[in-house]
Amino acid sequence: MATYDFVFSSLGLEDWCSDGQSDAPMSMAALLQKTKGTDAEAESLWDLPFPSMDALNDSCAAFPKSRELTKGLEEGFLSIKDSLSVVLDPLTQPLSWFLDGTLYGMLNTPWWIVIPALLAVVFVVTKSWKLVGFVAGSLILLAFIDYYQYAMETLSIIFVCAFLCVLLGVPIGIAMSRSDMMQRLTIPVLDMLQTLPPFVYLIPLIFLFSVTESKLYGIAIILYAIVPVIRLTNLGIRLVDKDVIEAADAFGMTSQQKLFKVQIPLALPNIMAGVNQTIMMSLAMVVIASLVSAPGLGVLVLQGIRNLELGVGLVAGLGIVILAVILDRVTKASLARINASQKQ
Amino acid sequence: MDRDIKISIRNLYKIFGPIPDVALAYVRRGMGKAELLEKHNHVLGLQDINVDMREGEITVIMGLSGSGKSTLIRHLNRLIEPTAGEIEVDGKNVLNFDEDGLRKLRREQMSMVFQKFALLPHKTVLENAGMALLVRGHTVRDFEDEAKKWLARVGLEGNENQYPHQLSGGMQQRVGIARALASNSPVMLMDEAFSALDPLIRSDMQDLLLELQEELKKTVVFITHDLDEALKLADHLVILKDGHIVQQGEPQEILMQPNDPYITDFISDINRARVLRVRSVMEKTTEPPADCAGDISDRDNLESVIARSEGDTDLVYRVVKKGNQVGILEMKELVKALVPVDASEGDNRSRY
Repeated sequence: MATYDFVFSSLGLEDWCSDGQSDAPMSMAALLQKTKGTDAEAESLWDLPFPSMDALNDSCAAFPKSRELTKGLEEGFLSIKDSLSVVLDPLTQPLSWFLDGTLYGMLNTPWWIVIPALLAVVFVVTKSWKLVGFVAGSLILLAFIDYYQYAMETLSIIFVCAFLCVLLGVPIGIAMSRSDMMQRLTIPVLDMLQTLPPFVYLIPLIFLFSVTESKLYGIAIILYAIVPVIRLTNLGIRLVDKDVIEAADAFGMTSQQKLFKVQIPLALPNIMAGVNQTIMMSLAMVVIASLVSAPGLGVLVLQGIRNLELGVGLVAGLGIVILAVILDRVTKASLARINASQKQ
Repeated sequence: MDRDIKISIRNLYKIFGPIPDVALAYVRRGMGKAELLEKHNHVLGLQDINVDMREGEITVIMGLSGSGKSTLIRHLNRLIEPTAGEIEVDGKNVLNFDEDGLRKLRREQMSMVFQKFALLPHKTVLENAGMALLVRGHTVRDFEDEAKKWLARVGLEGNENQYPHQLSGGMQQRVGIARALASNSPVMLMDEAFSALDPLIRSDMQDLLLELQEELKKTVVFITHDLDEALKLADHLVILKDGHIVQQGEPQEILMQPNDPYITDFISDINRARVLRVRSVMEKTTEPPADCAGDISDRDNLESVIARSEGDTDLVYRVVKKGNQVGILEMKELVKALVPVDASEGDNRSRY
C-alpha cells in the first residue's frame, strides 16, 4: 500500500518485514493521515517521496526509522557516558577549581583593589594613558549602574579560559608547524570546531557533566575559542623568514634554540593576533554559556529574554559591548607594541 | 701559492627530485641537464664538482643565476645534502659527521654571510653580532667586548643598541660580516654577500673585505654573479655554468686564456686595463731592457701603466718584484693584451 512496497516484495523480504509489524502506538503523522482518510492510493509521480528511512519504514515495518538512528546515537552516548566521565571528570576537575577560585578571588576582593589592579595591567601591556583612562571610565560606568559584579564574573571567566587556550593552543600550534602530518590531522578538527554552531557544543557536555559544575561552560568556551590561537601560532611560525632560519642553522643552533630564540619571537605578532581573536571568541561564548549556568552579563541577557525585561537585557548587552571594546583595544595596543619593536 | 688545502670538494653531485639516485646513474652516463629534466623530471643542481680551496685565500665561485653557485656553497656546511661526492674540511669528510659533529663544524669552523643579511629583527645590533657566541651558550655580558670590537672593526661603532631595521642595507650587511667575524671561525662563507647593495656601497664593502682579509687571512668562499667583483676579490676563481665547472684557476689566467666561448662572452665586456695586472702580460726575463722608461711593480694594473706612459706605445718598462727585476713590459704588448681573446666573437655578441 505504500510507495516502496515493490522494493521489499521484489527482494523477497516480505516475511522479514511482517516480523517487524508491531502493536506500537501509532505515530502522530500516521494517526493524522488515518483520520483524514486520504490514502496513499491517489499517488502521482509528483508526490513521489524520497526513499528515505521513514518512507521505507512505511512499506516495511522492520526497516528502522530515522529517529531510531538518532536514538541509537543517544543510547550509545549514554552507555559510554559513565566510563567517559570516569576519565574526563578528574582530568577536567582542575578547570572547575581554577574557574571557581578566580571567580571567588575577583568577587571577594574589594572593588578599590580590583579596579586599580586592572588599570595597572592595562598600563603595563599598552603603555598608553589614553587607554587606561578609557578603561577606567568604562569600569566606573559599569560599577555605577550596579553591573560591576556581573562584569567581573564575565571578565574572570574570560581570563581563565583565554589563559588556558593560550597554554594549550600555542604548543599545539608549534607541533603543527613542525610536522605537516600533524597539520593535516589537526586542520579538519579545527575547521569543525570553528563551524559547529556554539549551541551544539553544549549538548554532549550537558550529558557528560552536571550543569552545576563550572567546568561545563569552561570546556565549551575553551573548545570554541582555542581555534584562532592554534591556527595563528602555526601560521606565524611557518611564515618566519626562511633566510633567518637558514642563518640560525648555519650558525649551528639546535632546534630548541631555533624555536625559542628565533621562531617564537618572530611569530609573536601572529600569535598575539591569535590571542586577541581567542579573547573575543571567549567573550562571545561566555554569553551563550550562560544557558548552562555560566555567571556574568550573559545571565542578565537571558533574564531580559525570559522575563521580558527589555531594559535589563539591553543594558547588559551594552555592558558586553563595552567589555569587548576594552579587551580588543588592550590586546590590539599590546600587539602594536610588539609589531613596532620587530618591524623589518 | 703553496698554502695548505683547507676545503676540498671531490666529485660532488646534487640532483633535486624524488629519486635522485636513479637520476644520478643517468647523469654519470652523460645525460645533460635539459634532457634529465624533460625525461625524468629531475633537476641537475651540481655535476662533478672538484675544487680545492686553500687556506687564507679568497675562492670566488661565479656564475649566473641558476648555475648552482648558491647550492654549492650550502654543501660546505651541509645546509644541503649532496647526492654523491665528498667534502673534506681539514682532511675530514664533512659527510661523515653526525648531528653533533656537524653542529660543531657550523659553530666553530664556518661562519656565513647572507645576501639578504638574515639578521634577527628582534635583537639589537650587538646581540646580532654576538649570535655565534650566543649560540655557543655565552651570555650577552660575556661576548659584549668581543662583539663591540668587531662592530668597531667594520665601522659600526655607536650603533650597538640599535635594531637592524634602523640601519641601511650596507650597515646591516656590516653587521652580518661582524657576526661572521665574531664567531672567530677559520672559514667564512659569503653567499652573494654584496649583491643586494648599491654599487658604491658594494665597492666599499669589497675594499673592507680585502682589508680584513689582509689582516685575518681567513679562508673565504665568496659567491657572486658579478664578474668585476669576482676579479677584484678572487685569489682563485671558479666559473660555474648549469651546475658544472667551466673553468677554474687564477683570475688573470682565465682572462688571458679563456677555454670556453661562455667565458669569452662573459669577459668581453669588462674593463681589461683595470683588471689585468702587469705580471700577466709581461715578458719574463731578468735581462734589463735596452732603453728603460722606468720601474713598475708586477702587481700594478695596466690602467696605471697606461696613465704613466701617457699613451706612448714605444716605451719599455722594467717590472720589479720586491726590488728585483722579474720581467719587462713593452707598451705594444700591453695594448695587444687589451683586446679580448677571440675578439671577433666577443664583438659580435656585444653588439646584438
